[in-house]
Amino acid sequence: MTLALRSTMQPVTRRVRAYFAPVDRTTETPAVFDPAGLGLFALDTPPAPWLDLGWVTNFQRWSRTSVDALRSGTRGAPAQSIRGALQAEVEFTFREWGKLQMALQAGSQHMNVLATGSNATPQPSGGAATSAVPLLSGSTATELQVGAGNVALFAAGNMVAVDEDYQQQTGYVGTGLAAAYVRNAQDVQHSADYVRRVTFNVGRVGGVTSTSLLLAQPLLGGVPASGASVQRVVAFVDREGGSFFQEWSALFVMEEENGARICFYYPRLAPWKKTNAGTAEQSEKLFAIDGVASSLGQVGLHASFVALPVSDVNDGEQILCYRSFFPASSAALY
Amino acid sequence: MQFAKDSFYIALRDRLATVNPARTVAINGATRPAVLVLENEPATANPLIANAFHLAWSSLQATAGEDAAKRPLLAMACEIRYGTSGTLDGGVDRGRVMAALDTELGEICSPGRTEKLDHTQASPLDLGSNVIWTKPTLKPIETDRKTGLLLVRNAELTVFFFPEVDLS
Repeated sequence: MTLALRSTMQPVTRRVRAYFAPVDRTTETPAVFDPAGLGLFALDTPPAPWLDLGWVTNFQRWSRTSVDALRSGTRGAPAQSIRGALQAEVEFTFREWGKLQMALQAGSQHMNVLATGSNATPQPSGGAATSAVPLLSGSTATELQVGAGNVALFAAGNMVAVDEDYQQQTGYVGTGLAAAYVRNAQDVQHSADYVRRVTFNVGRVGGVTSTSLLLAQPLLGGVPASGASVQRVVAFVDREGGSFFQEWSALFVMEEENGARICFYYPRLAPWKKTNAGTAEQSEKLFAIDGVASSLGQVGLHASFVALPVSDVNDGEQILCYRSFFPASSAALY
Repeated sequence: MQFAKDSFYIALRDRLATVNPARTVAINGATRPAVLVLENEPATANPLIANAFHLAWSSLQATAGEDAAKRPLLAMACEIRYGTSGTLDGGVDRGRVMAALDTELGEICSPGRTEKLDHTQASPLDLGSNVIWTKPTLKPIETDRKTGLLLVRNAELTVFFFPEVDLS
């Protein structure tokens, strides 16, 4: 076998996969992607805490960190390079819709529309919810113990939100993932349901037993906290405006068709919207379906982000993004 | 080039043996997975064996922007033809069998890559790169005009690979 092929130095890819992981908002600690330990993970089963958000299209990275010349002498000749203000952006279109994709694309606080009673006053983000059902001991990330008397309140196919009652606290709320920031309990009407209204701990009921709900996917926050309750969710909603900003770690992987893998790791990504209407992208992007069904279109979510810096522990440098490359096993290295 | 063709064929053949072990053909007394390369079969052979995938290679060219490369990424067209008369009297299940063949073709073509190996060696030699291909495009089903019983489908895909020798 030849171990220095130049042809395999040409990466070929079919698509870009997107993975996100929560940033600890209290400490501003990102999720770490270590290429040594995680680089060649199976793309359909990313290692925790990375979450698979499907494939994306129109993937574009922008390096806007200026590099200029420091000039000297009577003729002002370039003497050396200097790096200016750091700036990097990334944008792409999610081809799959879900709570995380919506939250990341909107960039603001993302809400679960809780099921309401028939007499609830209509509200754009959902009116007063029906009573939450307290979880019993023995609940896990995939099975919610609600007791024999409450199982009938749910059915297979229902969406549910699971989290603690709001305890009038301020700061970030949401088990496992920061879902919102409460500045004042009055802002959220002192509502006990508020955390479940914003939590990322959602799931779909895949089946029921005599005492519990079996979830089709595990709760993102893991085992429900003691004292958590469950409520039915009928939809998701995000809003233009608000004061909360999402912040996530992101990893984009170009699949290796020719043996080489390319990864882009952004330790901290925050929402970024172009203000110029001429260059701004539409939030929802329609992809026409060719052929006889030409009136049909697939709907993508166009998202754009700005990278926030971290300090690299190996040398103390301020970094916005890491690009790692895993050459094909037979490729020449230079 | 032959290595790419061989590697593609063997990938599909081996995958079919896993996807549907019962999908076999018996030729000259030998039973094997029902993937055939027409140019490798006797010229006098039946042009279409029912319930089997027949591979035929077609055009070959460098991909766009690769003309100047010593070893450009090459694109070779491949047609996969298959047909069925069904398994029941009167062929009343031929549509279902054709759907099963369509599904199996999709399965054996995924993922759209395999290692390029030199299968002329007693132990296949890894040539260091992959053979890559597109998803198959399934053309309209044709019906045998004489009997109306045999349904035939052509599927097309493009296979990409790097050559083993310099081309400039």
